[in-house]
Amino acid sequence: MNDLHIPASQSTPEIRTDSAAGTLLMRGDSYPENSFELFSPLLGWVQRYLAETVQPLVLNLHLLYLNTSSVKVMMEIFDNLEEAHAGGRTVSVNWHYDQENERVAELAEEFKEDCSFPFNIVQQ
Amino acid sequence: MNDVTPLDLRIEALLADAQYDDHPLRGALNELYGEFRSQLHLIERVTHVSDLYQHMAREQNQSLLERYRRQLKKLEKIARISDRYQAVMRDLNEALKDASNHDALTGLANRRMLMDALRTESNRLLRQGRPMTLVLADIDHFKQINDAYGHERGDAVLVDIARAMASSVREYDLCGRWGGEEFLIVMPETGLPEALEAVERMRRAIAALHVVAGEHNVTASFGVAEHLPGDHLSATISRADTALYAAKKLGRNRCEVAPAGSQPASPAAD
Repeated sequence: MNDLHIPASQSTPEIRTDSAAGTLLMRGDSYPENSFELFSPLLGWVQRYLAETVQPLVLNLHLLYLNTSSVKVMMEIFDNLEEAHAGGRTVSVNWHYDQENERVAELAEEFKEDCSFPFNIVQQ
Repeated sequence: MNDVTPLDLRIEALLADAQYDDHPLRGALNELYGEFRSQLHLIERVTHVSDLYQHMAREQNQSLLERYRRQLKKLEKIARISDRYQAVMRDLNEALKDASNHDALTGLANRRMLMDALRTESNRLLRQGRPMTLVLADIDHFKQINDAYGHERGDAVLVDIARAMASSVREYDLCGRWGGEEFLIVMPETGLPEALEAVERMRRAIAALHVVAGEHNVTASFGVAEHLPGDHLSATISRADTALYAAKKLGRNRCEVAPAGSQPASPAAD
């Protein structure tokens, strides 16, 4: 499976996938000008990984600011995880935040609300 | 498919009865009965198909309604989270704005904010034809404090003096750090007599701190310049600076007033 290695830019997060390890990393701010261009490979990877393999998937998120289209994409990814989880797949999210940025944790709590798979909000 | 009714039985019995075989109405009844049966069958088929359609439409409607509700819930969640991100950004923006207008050490207005306030006030007072007064204050022998006791002590002295000055000015005056150990106080709609009262309050407040550095009780000197409508800001600042220099030359811990504007300030301390 082709992995994604998208470096961070001023308005987009770093995105790295590792199919062998079953991990997806996102780090930084996300307010892309063209959210479709950035996120369709990401959504594609998540859907293919869940469909074509049986291994667990762990999301490691170090996200700060998200604009509306990024919020929507994250919710779509979590919906995919939720569906996989309902089908017996091992999936989890670790949402990391800095101590001096408590409000990121509050926002992660909002995302977590409807998720029944393990969703950890971790202080760094 | 359809139930057999007593009428059906009666008709069928009459048609089967041999004694009516040659009756002229028998043929017509037979045809009519056949036609009736096939029409009945058709109605039942149509009803059945129609029921199926209705059932399908109802199921489709329910699944659409379900999907609509799910999407609506999702949309509400996106909006809620997005609103919170925007609130974070707005607060961050406020904090940055505040940081860009204030001196990190003393918390007073910084030079940028002072310049903005000077421009705004001088334009406003020009329209109203009213004066304002600018005061430049400088801590006496500050370099010696820094040299003898280190910058940390110097910073602490700056913070103490800033606090004393800020609490001695009036509510609508703006006291800020102009640079180094120099402070600027903008006093809108204020003539010299009132300004000098405020300066004297500040001078005494600083002396009353009894911040001692070496053999010196830390004090400050002041240069005051009245800004009349139409004066150039830079000229007023420069007059206040010259007056401050004069106060230093005349022994420090005192206040000097610049001569009226619209003419070059006399170099009092030459």
